[in-house]
Amino acid sequence: MKRLSIFLLFLVLAASLSAQDDLMNMLKDSTAKEINYATATFKSTRVINGHSVQMMAPGQLDVRISHRFGLVNSGAYEFFGLDQSNMHFSLEYGITKWLMVGIGRGSYEKTFDGFAKYSILRQSTGARNMPVSVSALSSIAATSLKWTDPTRTNYFSSRLSYVGQVMIARKFSPSFSLQLTPTMVHRNLVPTELDPNDIYAVGAGGRMKLTRRISLNAEYFYMINSKKYMSETIYDPFSVGFDIETGGHVFTLLFTNSLQMIEKGFVGETTGNWLKGDIHFGFNISRVFTLKK
Amino acid sequence: MKRLLKYILFAAIIAAGVCSCYYDSEEGLYPSISSTCDTTNVTYSGKVVPIFANNCLSCHSNARAASSGGSVALENFADVSAQAASISAAINQTGPLSPMPKNGSKLKACLITTFDIWVRNGKPNN
Repeated sequence: MKRLSIFLLFLVLAASLSAQDDLMNMLKDSTAKEINYATATFKSTRVINGHSVQMMAPGQLDVRISHRFGLVNSGAYEFFGLDQSNMHFSLEYGITKWLMVGIGRGSYEKTFDGFAKYSILRQSTGARNMPVSVSALSSIAATSLKWTDPTRTNYFSSRLSYVGQVMIARKFSPSFSLQLTPTMVHRNLVPTELDPNDIYAVGAGGRMKLTRRISLNAEYFYMINSKKYMSETIYDPFSVGFDIETGGHVFTLLFTNSLQMIEKGFVGETTGNWLKGDIHFGFNISRVFTLKK
Repeated sequence: MKRLLKYILFAAIIAAGVCSCYYDSEEGLYPSISSTCDTTNVTYSGKVVPIFANNCLSCHSNARAASSGGSVALENFADVSAQAASISAAINQTGPLSPMPKNGSKLKACLITTFDIWVRNGKPNN
């Protein structure tokens, strides 16, 4: 009886071994055809202020809370700006692999905003070689601050501004990614005739991993419009920050010269000058909830 | 799911059509306010009261002055004329006084000029 069972076991093992051979072959065949997509080009859907190429996975909700404090150079009495704060929070949801939408509210000019982001190309190797990931963003923002002069004829359209943006990013290595971001901002109402309604800018952002949980991010937007004749002195926004990943959260500590956290605000309305120390300390918190598997 | 996406797309297109792009500037829309500053006929009721109503009374009204306006009320003629010098220093943002409006951009030059003209004219109650 014992011998028989050993014999049977041997038979089963032999059969399974040959089956494994088949499986190995099948695996080899399939890996040759497989597409390896680059994942986590950036840790979250933002580089710092601006959007990254990264999308929310379908069924996942990202709850984001961001703060920008006052000017660091405002002195010890204002506790280096921390007495003042400016916030923005948003809910962002992945609908499909290629589409995510979000709504938000910022305290600057009491602005409501909404966006849709589409994934167009994904960086990949293997069966399909694609050197870069490309996403596109379109967003709309409406201020709700009371009009300074309620007696004049005020139009709702004057509250609106639109943003169109293309994000082109490449993950060069597991620890280094770069992104180029051509941007267009349209504002329905500007202060004077000299201020452009359409602002064109090119952004550049990067991420460098320092440790397993911490990465250094930097971001810059170059405004193509001439800033010489605008009614206010405008600077290009530049930000540096650290992404810190702490189990389910991405926590970004940052320094920037722009107070606003949406494209319409930091491209074309940044009044801080880094060289003079007009820098704001701030943070972004991102918490992802899985709503649908 | 596909149908939901179609609806969202449809709603977005409608929204974009309803409030499409405008190329406006405050200067162009309201020429009387920003490009030329009308400094003739500066009266308290006609020119000065609206400046306070639109820019100051959200904190400095009689009702709110004690809680949010640092006990400075700017709603009545008597209060405004008594504190005119301090108001001028605060809105010109030059003096030792706390710059006003607090946590907001400086008033338009025309409004500050209008107020200063009224003070120079002897603060008439007209």
